[in-house]
Amino acid sequence: MTDSQASQVANNDSSSEEQPANDERAANMDKENVVLRVEDLVKSFGALVATDHATFEVERGTITGLIGPNGAGKSTLFNLISGFYESDAGRVTVNGTDVTDMEPYEIADHGLIRTFQTPRKLEGMTVREAMLVGPREQPGESFTKLFTDPESVREREQRNLEDAQKILEDFEIDHLATQPATKISGGQLKLVELARAMLAEPEILLLDEPAAGVNPTLRKKLAEQIRRLNGQGTTFLLIEHDMEFVMSLADPVIVLDRGHVLMEGTPDEVQNDEGVIDAYLGG
Amino acid sequence: MSLRAIVDDPNVYWSGLTRAEQGVSGFIAGFVVLLLGGLFTGILAPTYFLFLVGIAGMYSLLSLGLNVQWGYTGLINFSVAAFFGIGAYGTALASASSSPVAGNLAPVVGLFVALVLAAILALLIGIPTLRLRADYLAIASIGLAEVVRIVILNEDQLTNGSAGVRGIPTFFDGWPLLDTFPQTMPSVAVSRLPGGTVVLGQSFWSALLNVVVVVSFIAVSYFVLKRAHRSPWGRVLRTIRSDEDLARALGKNTYRYKMQAFVLGSLIMALAGVFYAHLNLFVSPGDLSPITTFYVWVAVMLGGSGSNRGALFGGFVIVAIREGTRFLNAFEFIPFDVAPLRLLLIGVIIVLLMRFRPEGVLPPQRELIWPSVVDDAPEQPDSGVRDSKAGESND
Repeated sequence: MTDSQASQVANNDSSSEEQPANDERAANMDKENVVLRVEDLVKSFGALVATDHATFEVERGTITGLIGPNGAGKSTLFNLISGFYESDAGRVTVNGTDVTDMEPYEIADHGLIRTFQTPRKLEGMTVREAMLVGPREQPGESFTKLFTDPESVREREQRNLEDAQKILEDFEIDHLATQPATKISGGQLKLVELARAMLAEPEILLLDEPAAGVNPTLRKKLAEQIRRLNGQGTTFLLIEHDMEFVMSLADPVIVLDRGHVLMEGTPDEVQNDEGVIDAYLGG
Repeated sequence: MSLRAIVDDPNVYWSGLTRAEQGVSGFIAGFVVLLLGGLFTGILAPTYFLFLVGIAGMYSLLSLGLNVQWGYTGLINFSVAAFFGIGAYGTALASASSSPVAGNLAPVVGLFVALVLAAILALLIGIPTLRLRADYLAIASIGLAEVVRIVILNEDQLTNGSAGVRGIPTFFDGWPLLDTFPQTMPSVAVSRLPGGTVVLGQSFWSALLNVVVVVSFIAVSYFVLKRAHRSPWGRVLRTIRSDEDLARALGKNTYRYKMQAFVLGSLIMALAGVFYAHLNLFVSPGDLSPITTFYVWVAVMLGGSGSNRGALFGGFVIVAIREGTRFLNAFEFIPFDVAPLRLLLIGVIIVLLMRFRPEGVLPPQRELIWPSVVDDAPEQPDSGVRDSKAGESND
C-alpha cells in the first residue's frame, strides 16, 4: 500500500463514525473464528463508487450468503477480495494475514479460492483434465522438475487423478470424466467448477452465482454438494440472486446495497427487514 | 505410438488413427514416393534434396517454438524472425572468421551465445508486456522484430551491418572425426534408373551432416516439448490460453508461466537460427525479413495450434510449397510461370483452411495427462476435443 493510500485509510477510519453504513444493523464484527475479514473496503470506477466502505466478517464453518440488488457491488467485492481488482482503501484479511492488494495466486495460497459467474470452457481438455488444473503446488507445475524428478511428478499426478475421479463420483458426474470439457451443459460445468475448486483445498471458497443458469434438478444437487462440503469443513461465501436457493442454504446472510453492507442476519431476519425490501424495490 | 506397435499389428494401428492422421500418413507416403522418384530420375539432385530437408527442419523448429507460445499458451508473438535472427547472429558473431566482436570460437560456444542472447531478448520484451493483456505482446513484438533487424543493419562495428557475417564454420568444425567427415568419406557413384550415374561427393556428405544437426535439434526440442505438453506445467499453459483469470483464481502465477513459455519458445526459434548460420555459412540482415514470421505462423495454424506433430508437419509443408513450386515449371502444359505464385498459393491454403478446417490438419486430439498415469485413453471422435477456431484469439 502506498503512503497516500494509507493516509486515505486513516481518513476513512476517522470519518467512518459518520458513515450511515456502519450503523448498528450492519455486519456483525464480533465473530469468534474468522476466516475472512473485510474492513472499510473502497473501490470506485471514475465517479461510480462500486464498493463503499464495505465491512463484514465470515466465520469459519459457515455458509455465508451475500445478496443485494443488481449493481449493489457484489461482484466487485468478490474481485477485490480475491485480488482481481486493486482496492482504493481498506483491508482484506484471510486467516489473520493481510492479503490486501496481493496477486490472486498469492491470495489463493492463503486458502481463498473463487469461482466465476460465467465459467469459461477449457477448450481441448477432457473434464478430468480440466479438473487436474485445480490442485495447488503440484511438482509437475515446475518445468525443471519434469526432467529432474519425473517420479514425484508421476506420483502426484496419479494421486490428483484419483482425487479428481473421487470427487466427480461424489458429485455423481463421473460419467463425464473423459468427455470433452466443451461438450457438457452449463449446469454440469458449474458442478465441475465447484469440484475443481475443491481440489485446490480451499479454506474458504467464494462462489459467484453458483445456481445461475442451472436447471432445478441440478440446482438441488449443487445445494446438496455445497452443504456436504461445508459439513466436511469448507467455509463458503456465496453471491446468489436466487432467493430460495440462498435462503435455504446460507446462514447468516449479508445484504449489500450501493457498495456498503446494509445488514446481516438470519435468512428470516433478512427477508422481513424493511430496509432490505426497500433496497430491492429501489426505495 | 511406438514403432513396435506398428510392426506388431499394422492393421490395428492403422484403424486406431483418426481420419486426419490416416490422411496425413497417406499424404506423407505419397510425398516420399514422389521425392524418391525425383531422386532416382535425376530431377532432384541428392545434395539439393538434403539442403531442402535441412530448410524444412529449420521451419519445423521455428514452428515448434511458436507452438509453445501461441499453441500452448496463447501468446501472440510476431517477432519469430527476430529470435531466429538473434540465434543466427549469436553463433555467427562468436564463431565466424570475419566477426567484428569475438570470432573463431567453437560453434558449440556460438550455440550457447545464441541461446543466452535469445533468452535475454525474450526477457526484455516479456517483462513489460506479459503482465498486460495478450494484445500488448502482439503489438510490441511487431516492433521488436523491426528494431532487432534495423539495429543489426546499422550497428556496423558489432555486426558488419549490411555486409553480413562471412566465414562461419560448419557446426562440426573442430570436432574429432566429424570435422573432416565430408573429406574422408569416399565418393559413391549411384546409378540412376534412366541410366547415368550420380556421384555422391564431399558436398553430399556435408549436406548430410547438416541434416544430422537439424534432426538432433528437432529431436531434443521435441522430446522436451512432448514431456512438457503432457505435464501439469503444460496444462497450466493451456488453461492460461483458454481463460487466464481461471488460472489465476486457482492459484497459478500466470505471469511466471507465460514468461517460461515465451522464453522456451524463443530458445527453440534461436536453435533454428543457429542451424541456419552453420548451414548457409553466411548471415545478413536480410535473413531477418518479416516474411519468415509469416511463414511460421501459417505453418503452425496449418498443422494445428497446440500440436507438436502439427508444427512439424506444417514446417515441412511450407517448405514443400515454397520450394516445390519451382519444379512445377517443368510441366510444360502449365502455360505460365508458377514459381512467383507461391505466396498466392499459401494465401489460398490459409483461406481454405480457415473455411473448412479451422483447427488445423493435426489438432491435439488426445487427452494430455502424464504418461503411465492413465492407460484408458478415451476414444476421441474425429472432430477432436477442440471446437474453437485455431486462428481465433483466446477469449
